Amino acid sequence: MARTNKANNDQSPQSRLHALGVARLGLIGKHSEQLMHAYISGNFDESSVSESALDKLVKARLLHRPDENQPLALRPDVNSLIASLTEDERKRQINADVAGQLEQIRTRVKHFSDAQFRGDYAASEHHFQLLTEKVHDMTGQFSDAIASLWNRLNSDFGFVSNLGDKIRENELAQKQLRRLLDGFELIDFNELIELAQSSGPLRKLLVSQLQVTISDHASSLLEVQKRLVELMARFRQQQERAQLISNMAAFLKQHPNFVVGDYPNRSNVPVHFNHAAPIIASASVALDKVGDQQVLGDVVRALDISTISYVPPLESGGEFDLEQELAIEARHQQLKQDVESFFIATFEHREPVSAIDYLQTQGLDWDGEMWLFQVIAEHEGLAYQLRQRFDMDKKRAFASEFNQVEIISDVTIEVNVGQYGAA
Amino acid sequence: MIEHGPLLETLLAGASICQISDEEAFRRLKDEVVREELNHFLRPLNRRLAQSQDGSVFFLAYQELNSSAREHLSKEFKQTIQSLLPLLEWMQLVQESLGRDGALSAGDTIQFQEFALRTEDNQSLRQRFSQLASDRFFKSSSDNLDSQLKQVFKRLKETGYLHQPHKDRQFYLVTGKIEQLIEMVCFIKDEESLPLDEMPQQESMF
Repeated sequence: MARTNKANNDQSPQSRLHALGVARLGLIGKHSEQLMHAYISGNFDESSVSESALDKLVKARLLHRPDENQPLALRPDVNSLIASLTEDERKRQINADVAGQLEQIRTRVKHFSDAQFRGDYAASEHHFQLLTEKVHDMTGQFSDAIASLWNRLNSDFGFVSNLGDKIRENELAQKQLRRLLDGFELIDFNELIELAQSSGPLRKLLVSQLQVTISDHASSLLEVQKRLVELMARFRQQQERAQLISNMAAFLKQHPNFVVGDYPNRSNVPVHFNHAAPIIASASVALDKVGDQQVLGDVVRALDISTISYVPPLESGGEFDLEQELAIEARHQQLKQDVESFFIATFEHREPVSAIDYLQTQGLDWDGEMWLFQVIAEHEGLAYQLRQRFDMDKKRAFASEFNQVEIISDVTIEVNVGQYGAA
Repeated sequence: MIEHGPLLETLLAGASICQISDEEAFRRLKDEVVREELNHFLRPLNRRLAQSQDGSVFFLAYQELNSSAREHLSKEFKQTIQSLLPLLEWMQLVQESLGRDGALSAGDTIQFQEFALRTEDNQSLRQRFSQLASDRFFKSSSDNLDSQLKQVFKRLKETGYLHQPHKDRQFYLVTGKIEQLIEMVCFIKDEESLPLDEMPQQESMF
């Protein structure tokens, strides 16, 4: 906007414009923190700057009050400037007003031709410069718009979080795109050729350059459009799918007794339900082919199997084998009964009876350790009163001189006569 | 034919083959000639190669629907219908807890840890998950979230809905079987003329 022209003196309007522009751009830099905060939060924190600074910001047309009751906010131009600088797709504007721009171009061309006709060289140069700028502005806006659309596409509309928003953003982008394409149609190159007449630079600017740019943009836009439509189809599909799942789940919950048709017994079974039962292709060692015997022999020899250490594989891991369980239970009962008999037998003796001796004399085939263990367990398992009738003595010894683990080698039980008599 | 041996065996054992669960086998099954060959072999076993409507999954179907085939299908069908609600619920839970845009589809990845953490942190998700885990499809009898999670993922792996590419790494890929499930839901919806489209829209939890 502000442009220096050293040929002009300090008082010229251009240099005043320059100074003002520099001052206001400086203002943006000075308050960039607060302005950016306002951009994100939507309104300007008036307490963050001094009153005079606030005044300056309003005068510089950076801030305005949209409504008397509203807090100060960024002017729309500032908002879109920041959005474009930061490529913030949430706020980035797509300017698709081609007709208005064309109108301005036509006017400028007339200014230019007029000045040339008058022979005012300086004025015609100035108008040409403005015209060039206008054309570049317009094409620049197009390429910005296209870049913004690509950006949205490539991020899968990641700047909004849920699918519904994405679909709406996509719809909006498609509308903007259509308006841009419609705008391109308004650019009538025949008219521009006529406007440029015989002027070389004008022809170059308005016809050849613009034509190349616009056709580039148009093909780019068509590609964007195709991709947007594809993406939309994907979004819609995702949405339908999520809806199908949640609706079906809700339906099944609401109708617990819902019965579906008997598809497997229809004359035409739908492919969804025709899943064949598994077949396991099993094979065993076979020795009926002479050539195989050598190979199989090698395989067997390579295996480290001995018949002694063979452990039958566990059957059906999860369930208890009831038969085995019952056998163990029966043996345990037998052991208990034998121990009880031993306790009863102690009544026939006045002196302590050794459990090991009893085991041997009765010819019971229990393991000694298991036997003693059960005797002790039985004694300790008796009710207190009953237990006092039997005196138990454990014969213990250290495992060795250096290992002080006590080992019980025998247990004797003696009927406590005093207690017995008292009872 | 001999080079298709392992593939045939997998198929006969009842597996569904998709690009995610076995890319190499899937690529081979895409070949019409290979399919012809396999079908030729399968004919005496009363089996044929079938594929889901979108062509993303191959499996074996009965060639001729005799009474024993129908008997098996009926049994299978009952189980499938029973597993429908828990599976749909699970899909919703994953979508919600991981904050996904759309419903789960084949090829999506699920990080076990991430799912576990999000479920643990959210009381409502946690409750729904516990309820789901105790469903007879997932068969978890534990009250502990961690073992419920493990059981659910184990069952999903067993039933072929999830594929675990590395045995010691806890991330899972959703297989094409989920597409089969969705196709089936669509089919039931159309076939039974369920008024699902007119149901009030359930907004997601977020």
